[in-house]
Order: sequence, then structure tokens, then C-alpha cells
Amino acid sequence: MWRACQKMDQREAVKMDDILNAGNIPYVSEASVSVEIETEDMTLNIGPQHPSTHGVLRLVAKVDGEKISSVEPVLGYMHRGYEKLAEVRTYPQITTLVNRIDWVSGFANEIPFIAATEKLMEIEAPERAKHIRLILTEMARIASHFVFNGAYALEIGALTPIFLAMEDRERILDLIESVTGGRFHPNFNRIGGIKPAAGAGPTTKKNIQDLPAGFYQETRDAMEKVLDAVERMEDLVGGNEVFKVRTKGVGIISKELAEEYGVSGPILRASGVKFDLRTQTDFLPYDQFEYEIPVGENGDCYDRWYVRLMEMKESAKIILQAIDSMPSGPLQTKVPKVIKVPKGQSYVRTENPKGEMGFYVISEGGLGPYRLKIRTPSFSNISILPVLLEDQLLPDLIAIMGSLDFVLGDVDR
Amino acid sequence: MNLSNNAEFIESLSSKFPNLENNFDTLKIKVKTSDWTSTASMLKDEFNLTYFSWLSAIDWENEVSVGDPPKEPVSPCFEIIFCLSDSIDGNVVLVSTEIEKENASIPSLVEVFAGSNWHEREAYEMFGIEFSNHPNLEKMYLPDDYEGNPMLKSFELISREVKPWPGEVDVEGMPEDGSEGGS
Repeated sequence: MWRACQKMDQREAVKMDDILNAGNIPYVSEASVSVEIETEDMTLNIGPQHPSTHGVLRLVAKVDGEKISSVEPVLGYMHRGYEKLAEVRTYPQITTLVNRIDWVSGFANEIPFIAATEKLMEIEAPERAKHIRLILTEMARIASHFVFNGAYALEIGALTPIFLAMEDRERILDLIESVTGGRFHPNFNRIGGIKPAAGAGPTTKKNIQDLPAGFYQETRDAMEKVLDAVERMEDLVGGNEVFKVRTKGVGIISKELAEEYGVSGPILRASGVKFDLRTQTDFLPYDQFEYEIPVGENGDCYDRWYVRLMEMKESAKIILQAIDSMPSGPLQTKVPKVIKVPKGQSYVRTENPKGEMGFYVISEGGLGPYRLKIRTPSFSNISILPVLLEDQLLPDLIAIMGSLDFVLGDVDR
Repeated sequence: MNLSNNAEFIESLSSKFPNLENNFDTLKIKVKTSDWTSTASMLKDEFNLTYFSWLSAIDWENEVSVGDPPKEPVSPCFEIIFCLSDSIDGNVVLVSTEIEKENASIPSLVEVFAGSNWHEREAYEMFGIEFSNHPNLEKMYLPDDYEGNPMLKSFELISREVKPWPGEVDVEGMPEDGSEGGS
């Protein structure tokens, strides 16, 4: 029976070929051969629980075959209401909350909040505290980019890089832990300085120790390994033909589009905008160090991956310089025991690993803020998704989404 | 020292907006609600502030059910704020306006900055502010059948009602204390 069918199919095919080839047959018009079949759009629900959605993001995609006609991201699965919670907490308590916004780079989240509060109180952290803050921020950046590098290759289909990346990242997390006592949520910044390090010796008032013994050497070794890892990753992933084909020319974000949607960080720089908030901020001493700002050319997925990879290298360079020029001195300025922030409003933004992270603190002179607006990079970065994914192919969806490197805690807050 | 805004920019901005506030390195312009969208497009075109950072609101209220009320009495209103920046010098400015709480409504900025779409949706669900001409004013985070606007100062934080905190320490007394438990 099957054989018969096959034979009939073949015969049919021959017949069709005859018809197609014979242009002189009067009843086969051009239009009827290249007729477009009207297909109904199919709604494809992606997420919320899917490994490549970086948390719990749901995408409702309308697809026409393999082509995406529209995408609507559905947020809120990770919404914890931090802006509301901040209104019932005191300033020192809020650092615990802000750690958990972008949990891949917990330390970097604390900086803009602390800086905004310090601005309102008109105090400044001592130089040494600033240096340690800077080192840990850059370490958080490296750790975050390691996660991206491993996970992105995984999403494209390469299994090995995630193991290498996680191993290298662990080294950085160990260093962060040795100083702060926490791998993900250090809660290390204090208004007016930093907390004495976890691995330090006796922390009596007279004999206060800050960085754990052997920290400098361990960091130097780790940074050398980061530089090696970047080179290896560039070779292993960037040199892979499949990776190149999947990412080059895919998901191009123009400079204008990026700016209009408030897309920031490595994504903006991959689109050719040389804009890094590290060069604009005064509360971390970035101006004392030499580093480059990697910029992409095409704004495609490959550039976004490459910019982040190069940023790791620059961050490692900054850390090495910061360690060599570490000033001595206290870790805390004098602050009152009960922190009251005078009336005022201050907006401070910093370069988080994911982009512009800003805190708008509105103080009415109480123990906690009257209102705290948290501007997170991932929220604006993925607001571009509906525009970016329109008319793309379904297999590119994962490649594009992965290249935006968002964390759902950072999107929903 | 502040690297965020250069002096030239502040000067040119203050010549256009005499009521420019510059406190704690934060530039803020207060405009009338009728000038809301025109200010945005003017800043975009004339001051090259092409980067849309965020939009949000503040609920000014004297009687609050969460946190502390303002020390000095305020006139109850919604203050809506958006933040623009440029991507060369890092100039950043906040623009704010005040609207009535009754039937709060304001024109949407989507025509000027498409990126304001999601931010306005968030403000709509959290504060109940209507954005006219918005293409898709739906809830952003909360379930469809959720009632209320959580960021309003009148919106109670239920967990705080159940268990006030910071307050009493909720650790049970140890047996040695003799107060409770243990034998």
C-alpha cells in the first residue's frame, strides 16, 4: 500500500514537473504556480519556565511558520515590589534589598544607592573604601560577564564554555566572599564607607583590619587567569563558525533605536555609542586608572558578545591597577549612629554590568526614603524586544534574547 | 566635583528654564502639564538629550499608611517625572510636573520617545495614572484581576499590618529565661 502511494506520488510529481516546466501550457498561469498560501498566525507561548529566559520571563509570540510577526513579553513573575518595600525600611536596611535586584552582580547594585544617599547626607567615603568598592564592583562585572559568556554559548548550542566560565567565575566569587562574606549578596557597603571585611583578623576598634590576608596576591593571580580565560573564550567561542553564523548580522540594534528605548551598557556600546558611565561618575575613582571602552560596530549579537568579553579584560586591568595603588586609611567616615537623611532629592546612576542603574532617592528627612525610584538596566534593555524580534526567525529569538543579557530580578524588581 | 553635568550645559538649560533646580548634583525642571510632551521633544531636539532613561511618579500625601509622612505638609498630588540623558557628555536632567489626583491623566510620551511605553504602563498600574494616547495601556506586572494601585501611599502593606517590623524581636525566649517553654 505504501509502495503504491509512493508510486502514485512519484507519478504526480512527474506530472507537476511537466506542468511547471512546460510554460506553454495555456491553463497554468504564472500566478497559479507561485500562489501564496495564506497561513494563520500561530501563537507560541515561550516561558515563563524555560532555561534560556534567564529567570521567569514569558514571551507570547505570534509566528507565521518560522517567522515571528509579533512578540509580547509578559513580566511580573519576579515582581517583589522593592520600591514599596523601600518605603518602610531605614536607609541601612535598603542595601540588603538592592543586593537582590540583579543577583548576578549583587555588589554593583549597592553602589548607586549608597552614592545617592551619601550625596544627600553630604558625606564622602574615605579613599580606601572607594578603592575597595571599585575593586569589588569590577569583580562583580567580571562575574556577571562570565555568566553571560557561558550561558550565551550554551543558548547558541555550545556546551563546553559554560563549564569553563563557571569555573573561572567561582574564583572571582571566592574573592568577593573572602572580603565581604557573601558570594551573591555581599551587603557590604555602609553609608559613609564599607564594613570591615569578613576574613579580617580581630576587629576591635584599635586593630581594625580590612582586607583578608593574601588578598592582593590572590587577586593578582585570579586576574591573570581572567585574562587567560578571555583569550581562551575568544578563541573557543568567537572562532567557532557556527557561533559566528548564528550571531553575526543577527538582531541588529541601531544607535537611535537603542537610545530611544533607554538601552544602556554593553548593548548600547555594541551599537557604536562610546558611552560608559564609569567615565562620568565621581564617587568611584575610575579617573585614576587607564582602561579602554570597548565599542562595537554593527550592533549585532556578535558585537554584544564581543564587547562584554573585552570588558572583562578591561575590568581585570582596572583591578590590577587599583591593587597596586591602594591607599591606606580608614574604611568609614564619621556618621551618626542613627542615620537620618536630610530633606532632598538625588538621582545617581552608575554603570552596572548590565547597563545604567540609577537610584532616585526622595528624602523627607526621615529614617527611610519617602520614595525610592529604582531604574534598572534590564527593564529598559528588554523593552526593545517587541521591536527587535519583529520579522525575525524563530531560531534567532534565543540568540537575540540571550545577547541582551538580562536578569529577571533586574527587570521586575 | 560632579562630572555628570558640565557647566555649559547647565547654563544653557537654565537660560531656557529659569526654574531649573540643581540640588545634590541632580538637575530638575518643573513644567506645566500642558508643556509635558513639548518639553520632551524640545529637550530631545535642542539639547540633544536623545537617551530616554526612565519615567515614574511620586504620590505626595500627608496621611500615609506606609512609611513616614512628610515632615512638612505637602499639597496632595501626583508628581510625574521623566529622566533624559545624552550619550556623549553624560548630561542628565529630570523633568517633572504635578497633576491632580482625581482622574489623574497626562499625555503619553510614546510619540516622542517610544521607550516610555513600558515605563508608563508601570506608572499606570502602580499609581493609577492614565496616559492618554498610549498604544497599549495594560498592566505590566500584576495579575489582570488585581485591584488597587500598590505604590499609592494609601495602599497598605499587608505584611506590615500582620506583623509590625522593625519592632519586637520575634525570637522565642530560651528555656533558661524562664519566661516561657522549657521545664
